[in-house]
Amino acid sequence: MGGLNMEAAEMEMTNPFAYSAPIWQRFSAPFRAGRFADGTAGVVSGQAGTPAARSVLKLQLQFVAGRVADGRFQAYGCPTSIAVGAWLVEWAIGKSAAELRGLSLAELRGTLEIADDRAHCAVMGEDAVLALLSQYQESRI
Amino acid sequence: MIYLDYAATTPLDARVFEAMLPYLRPDGVFANPASTHGPGFKARAAVEKARAQVAALIGAEPGEIVWTSGATESNNLALKGALEFRGAAPASKTLHIVTSRTEHKCVLDTCRYLEAQGVSGRSGGQPVRVTYLKPSANGVVTPEEVLAALTPETLLVSLMWVNNEIGVVQEVERLAPMLRERGVLLHVDAAQAAGKLPIDLGRTPIDLLSLSAHKVYGPKGIGALFVRRRPRARLNPQMHGGGHEQGMRSGTLATHQIVGMGAAFDVARTDLAADAAHIGGLRDALWSRLQALPRVQRNGGGEGIAIAPHLLNVSFEGVEGESLRASLPELAVSSGSACSSATQEPSYVLRALGRDDELANASLRFSLGRATTAADIERAAGLVIQQVQWLRELSPLWAA
Repeated sequence: MGGLNMEAAEMEMTNPFAYSAPIWQRFSAPFRAGRFADGTAGVVSGQAGTPAARSVLKLQLQFVAGRVADGRFQAYGCPTSIAVGAWLVEWAIGKSAAELRGLSLAELRGTLEIADDRAHCAVMGEDAVLALLSQYQESRI
Repeated sequence: MIYLDYAATTPLDARVFEAMLPYLRPDGVFANPASTHGPGFKARAAVEKARAQVAALIGAEPGEIVWTSGATESNNLALKGALEFRGAAPASKTLHIVTSRTEHKCVLDTCRYLEAQGVSGRSGGQPVRVTYLKPSANGVVTPEEVLAALTPETLLVSLMWVNNEIGVVQEVERLAPMLRERGVLLHVDAAQAAGKLPIDLGRTPIDLLSLSAHKVYGPKGIGALFVRRRPRARLNPQMHGGGHEQGMRSGTLATHQIVGMGAAFDVARTDLAADAAHIGGLRDALWSRLQALPRVQRNGGGEGIAIAPHLLNVSFEGVEGESLRASLPELAVSSGSACSSATQEPSYVLRALGRDDELANASLRFSLGRATTAADIERAAGLVIQQVQWLRELSPLWAA
């Protein structure tokens, strides 16, 4: 698979299915895919699915001093849902829980150029963040 | 790019290309084969030579070959033509067809059309009823199951020789004499069988058989329908006009394409055994390599069931179909994934076999051809194994 800095021509050749460039990039070479080792300090998880496509997205964010220091994601689903997981982890790093609450679906869809018929992938991403935040709150109590 | 989609279409064989050239050049043999002058006779001779070449591959007589635009048209002509001819006889009432749920779309859609429209005959409209037999989980519809579905109204059975998605070979050779005894017509879609399996219509009493050139290294846009002469299978034409092709299919003959189909079928006849050995050997090697992965299922076939040498259909548990397809941009293969087809539905063939939507989606159809090499297979298997492992690792649901 090509790296992240593919030239347009190379992208076209290796992306014959016409996914948007930001989705194809993250699907082809997703950063931070996987999961943290069990018992890693500060890790909070959130999982969501979408009945529309039987997809599942699991996010793990590691909080250090109230901010996200690192993250991982796992996904079962189409390239768009995998790209949503990859983007959310990128986006979350450096943010506080309060800032994570500010996730905008419009920003997520706009950045990844998610078409209307795949809007459910973005909603699943938002649901996973909300599930993670409620887990975060519980773990602090 | 590794091309493993020969069941969708094949490239022109170089020998076919050379044979077609004299009929495509501006100064070549361009005359209308129906014209009664020197150049016309020359074109006609080329058409008749090709007719004999096509007939020779399937053990037919040249006069039993009717040129069409391809297997879709052949299937339409066979089904609609046979029913309309019979519908015109005043004695008949409901006309019944028996077919299977795993036929090509063009057979199923023609059947649905006939069910919806009925057939108009001299005595007014006659209803058409269709029985769609469900194959077993291995993809087979037995001759006994076909016989059990017959009624006194059954006019025609339509069953494909080789299924285009899973490669299962139906026992049409055993079925044909049983239907002949009972006076029921048998139509066989042989688009995926011609050039892959020996076909001898001199011994097998099939009445109507559809053929396509572009599945056999010939050009697209040309096909044929075998219409048996003894006993005569009678059809009403679907294309009316100048009365070409014994009145069954009007339209100026496309000499260059017909010559291409003839050359392709000639090559297929010469190379049949060698092709089958080469392609079948590589297909078996591919399946053997893919079984390095746990939880893969071969679709169609099983103990004692024949599969055409060029096809391998596999479902990969635990991966999502669209991502599976997208993760393999270097492979030209067909996918069962809903997102890869025009219909946006998972393969109806795999669902008819009892596969759930998820497994039908997560399937790949590998179809091999003359130019496929052992290195192609090794590389393709390596890529598939790597990407399936990757998608499984990525999945929060996968438990090895």
